[in-house]
Amino acid sequence: MASRVSLKAKGKSSKGSKASEDRSASECLKEWTTWAMRKAKVVTHYGFIPLVIIIGMNSDPKPPLSQLLSPV
Amino acid sequence: MATTVPPPAAAAKVDYLNLPCPIPFEELHREAMMSLKPDLFEGMRFDFTKMLNQKFSLNHSVLMGPTEIPSQSTETIKIPTAHYEFGSTFIDHPRLLLWGRILTDGRLNARVKCDLSENLTFKANAQLTNEPHMSHGMINFDYKGNDYRTQFQLGNGALLGASYIQSVTQHLSLGGEVFWAGQHRKSGVGYAARYNTDKMVATGQVASTGMVLLSYVQKVSEKVSLASEFMCNYLSRDVTASFGYDYILRQCRLRGKIDSNGCVAAFLEERLNMGLNFILSAELDHRKKDYKFGFGLTVGE
Repeated sequence: MASRVSLKAKGKSSKGSKASEDRSASECLKEWTTWAMRKAKVVTHYGFIPLVIIIGMNSDPKPPLSQLLSPV
Repeated sequence: MATTVPPPAAAAKVDYLNLPCPIPFEELHREAMMSLKPDLFEGMRFDFTKMLNQKFSLNHSVLMGPTEIPSQSTETIKIPTAHYEFGSTFIDHPRLLLWGRILTDGRLNARVKCDLSENLTFKANAQLTNEPHMSHGMINFDYKGNDYRTQFQLGNGALLGASYIQSVTQHLSLGGEVFWAGQHRKSGVGYAARYNTDKMVATGQVASTGMVLLSYVQKVSEKVSLASEFMCNYLSRDVTASFGYDYILRQCRLRGKIDSNGCVAAFLEERLNMGLNFILSAELDHRKKDYKFGFGLTVGE
C-alpha cells in the first residue's frame, strides 16, 4: 500500500513537473517578449528624434551643422 | 474593311473593370472632419517651422494656456500649463515619412510611413510617456489594389483590426472593418459607405459598438463648402448633430460650426505674409458655461 501510494505520488509529481515545465516555457516566452518590448520602448523614446535628425542631416543636399541650432 | 466605331453612348457607359481606387477606410469622413473639427485650442500658441532642405525640417512649438483635467463633477477644472514641443520631420516623398514630436514632460509622438513596394505600405505610430502603462503603439499594413484597399492593424494591449473598402461604381464605395481588443475583451464589426461626386460627399458608418455616424458635405462654390454631421450611439443614447461652414479665401480660411450640445466654435487662419499665419480660435460651450479663446502665430511653410 505504501508502495502504491508512493507510486501514485511519484506519478503525480512527474506530471506536475512536466506541466510546470510547459508552463515555465510559455511563461519564459512571455517574460522575454515583455522584456524586449520594454527595451524597445526605451530605445524608441530616447532614440527616435535623434534618428530622424541623423537621417535628415545626411540626406542631400546636406545641410550645414550650424543650421541645426540657429534660429534663422 | 472593318472600322471600329465607338458606341455613341461610350462616354456615359461605366467601365466596371476600371474603377478608381477608393480613399482609405480611416479617411472616410475626411471632408467632414476637416470642416467641422479644426484644431481648436485655448491660450497662446506659437509654431516655428524651419526647413533645412527639401526633405528635412525642424519644428519648435510653444503653447501656454489652461488645460482641462477630467473631473467627476459637472464643473470643468482647468489648470494653467505651458509647454514647449520640439519636432523633426523627414519626408522623402513618396517612399518614407518620419515624423516625431517630443514635449517637455517627456511625451513622444512618433509616426513612420514606409512604402515597402508599390502597393504595400507599412505605417507605425506611437505615443510614449514616462508613466507606466500609458503608452500606445500601433502598426498598420496597407495593401492597395486596383479598386480596393485593405488594411491590417496590430496594436499594443493585444489590439487587432482589419478593414476593407471597395469601389462599387464610379462614385460609390463600400467597406467594412473588424477589430478585437484583447485587454478589454471586446470585438466589433462595422460597415461604411461613401458616395462622392465633384460637388458633394455623403458618408455613413455603422459599428457594432453602437455608433452610427452620417455626414454630408456640399461644395457650394470654389470658396465655400458646407458640412453637416449626425452622430448617435444607440447603446448609450447619445446623439449629436452639427452643422458647419468652411470658407477658403485667398488670404484666410474661416471655419465655423454649431452643435446640438450648445457648442459654437470658429477657427480663423489669416495669411499675413509669405510664411506668416495668424490664428484665432474660439469655442463657446453654452451648456457647460465654458468659453475658450486662443490666438497664435505660425511661422514657416
